[in-house]
Amino acid sequence: MSDASTTPTSTAANTAANTAVKSGGAAAATLIRLSQVGKTYYRGKEAVEVLKNLDLEMPDGAFEALMGPSGSGKSTLLNLIAGLDNVTSGSIQISGVDLSRMSEGERAKWRSQNVGFIFQTYNLMPVLTAAENVELPLLLTSLPSAERKKRALTALRVVGLEERASHRPDQLSGGQQQRVAIARAIVTDPKIIVADEPTGDLDRASADQILELLVKLNKELGKTIVMVTHDPAAAERASIVRRLDKGQLT
Amino acid sequence: MIPVSYNVRSLFVRKATTIATALGIALVVFVLAASQMLSRGVKKTLGSAGSPINGFVMRKGADTEMSSGIETPMVNLIMAAPGVKKDANGNAMGVGEIVMVLALEKLGGTAGQVSNVQLRGVPDNELSFRKEAHLIDGRPAHPGTDEVIIGKRLRGKFKGLELGQTFEVKKNRMASVVGIFEAQGSSHESEIWCDIDLVRTAFGRAGMVSSVTVALQSEGQFDAFKSAMEHDKQLGLQAFRENVYYEKQSEGTAKLVSFLGGAIVFFFSIGAIIGAMITMYAAVSHRKKEVGTLRALGFSRITILSSFLLEAFVLALIGGTFGAVASLGMSLVHFSMMNMASWSEITFSFDPAPDILVRAILIGGLMGIAGGLLPAIRASRTSPVEAMRE
Ligand SMILES: Nc1ncnc2c1ncn2[C@@H]1O[C@H](COP(=O)(O)OP(=O)(O)OP(=O)(O)O)[C@@H](O)[C@H]1O
Ligand SMILES: [Mg+2]
Repeated sequence: MSDASTTPTSTAANTAANTAVKSGGAAAATLIRLSQVGKTYYRGKEAVEVLKNLDLEMPDGAFEALMGPSGSGKSTLLNLIAGLDNVTSGSIQISGVDLSRMSEGERAKWRSQNVGFIFQTYNLMPVLTAAENVELPLLLTSLPSAERKKRALTALRVVGLEERASHRPDQLSGGQQQRVAIARAIVTDPKIIVADEPTGDLDRASADQILELLVKLNKELGKTIVMVTHDPAAAERASIVRRLDKGQLT
Repeated sequence: MIPVSYNVRSLFVRKATTIATALGIALVVFVLAASQMLSRGVKKTLGSAGSPINGFVMRKGADTEMSSGIETPMVNLIMAAPGVKKDANGNAMGVGEIVMVLALEKLGGTAGQVSNVQLRGVPDNELSFRKEAHLIDGRPAHPGTDEVIIGKRLRGKFKGLELGQTFEVKKNRMASVVGIFEAQGSSHESEIWCDIDLVRTAFGRAGMVSSVTVALQSEGQFDAFKSAMEHDKQLGLQAFRENVYYEKQSEGTAKLVSFLGGAIVFFFSIGAIIGAMITMYAAVSHRKKEVGTLRALGFSRITILSSFLLEAFVLALIGGTFGAVASLGMSLVHFSMMNMASWSEITFSFDPAPDILVRAILIGGLMGIAGGLLPAIRASRTSPVEAMRE
């Protein structure tokens, strides 16, 4: 690992820098707070320390882009923020709730209520129609069927695919599939949307459409978005860009 | 809950494996249902002869009519017992019958193959006593002749067993078939009925019967009749309700059929369960990312587990329904086999009772759950991080 001496100062500097990036005015409340987060993977006996002593604060309503070389730990960090995985050390607090203390079952429930997911490969259920895919997260709520279907259609309308409701994923283009995935991500009206390289598999035009949508979700619906990307054009749309290298924010 | 349509449609995406696995389960359900149907058919055929209002008497200690012998004077005593019904002329209603087995050449199989057929020597009043039996072709046998009538299930199955033909009762003693009767599907339909004296002279059984069947005044008279028969140990007789006797006779064969069917089902079902397991493991690993995504969206482990169990169950139900429907075809098949009680051949049919079919399909479904359990557990352990992997 790189020397320990730089760590505390550089993270402090980062935090200061981040606050500065924010669009001036009164500081928005911190929504996501990572303190001394460490993440180590074990491959058999061999330990791979991917994140170490990471401190990070993300304000409510931000559109964050995480960049950095391959293997730097971007996805690892995103997974922790999304509650998909747990930290090895340190803590993650989101809206004052400590994710690191939750059991896996509690995190699953928390995810279903607080996080919308957008994946690089869309991850739609191939056998379900667009509307059924969008409705999926609502099956974890107590909403009646008619209301679920109504909300799924509303979400599809937001991404401009209402008329494709009964199409299956294989009948849609990549860009359209990703828009269906976005509809699925917002249908439960979560606070946070996480996206791991959402435009990674798309051509420029489709990618721009997706980014446009994300900006709209951020601006008009007030979603806090955390997006991992390699694409500088994508990062440009974000309100805050952070760079990760070897598990450290730079 | 994850919608069932997700599982059902996923099954149809993998058509070939789904069909192959379903067929494995179909086969087991088919064998299970068919053997149960046959067992039920055996009970129906063997057990349906006899009425609760009839008393049936054999030599004490005899298991079957074949091994029972009662002297003629005793027959009169039995007829005179309390509870026995009398006809308009004041005669006791009953028949003394003698039963033997004939080896006859089968038709339609390997040339020269012989099989046993039950020959029942009956008195002149047999057809008027056994109301359930009636001629469907030909005419009644003339008393005191070597004419016989045969049950309809024997017709054309053996050499000489056809209207107008003859067969050998014993060397150089020919009998001719003059009539065909039916008897409500009971085992009598697999018998030859001849004059009782024909059996007695041909087989040297003068003055003997195998059993005596009497009509009782009412079902309630049976206990009095039975105690009259069995109270005097010197008589050496045992009495049954006629239907109970036949039911007991059917048990051995019915159990054998159930047991053989059960043994086949057991081994086949191991294969079918393993087949379902392999299929479901393949499904789980193929859909790792889908499952990871469901987990990421917040579906719990138990939900994933039940979803895959349900999928295996549906898969097995599809197969099971196929198997059960196919087994219905067996009701068209007649099946000849040895009757354990008389060592003679008897023809059974498969009885397609709805409860047998429903139970077989459900057992098929359970095999799906058995095979799907481990794969479903593996699916439920899928990490939500899998959703993010490429
Ligand atoms: N489950 C795991 N087990 C072991 N090592 C892992 C695991 N997940 C990630 N790693 C390792 O952690 C490091 C960071 O991985 P991560 O996926 O976070 O990188 P990334 O920045 O998202 O890279 P990319 O841009 O290629 O997606 C890599 O060295 C990777 O090999
Ligand atoms: Mg990554």
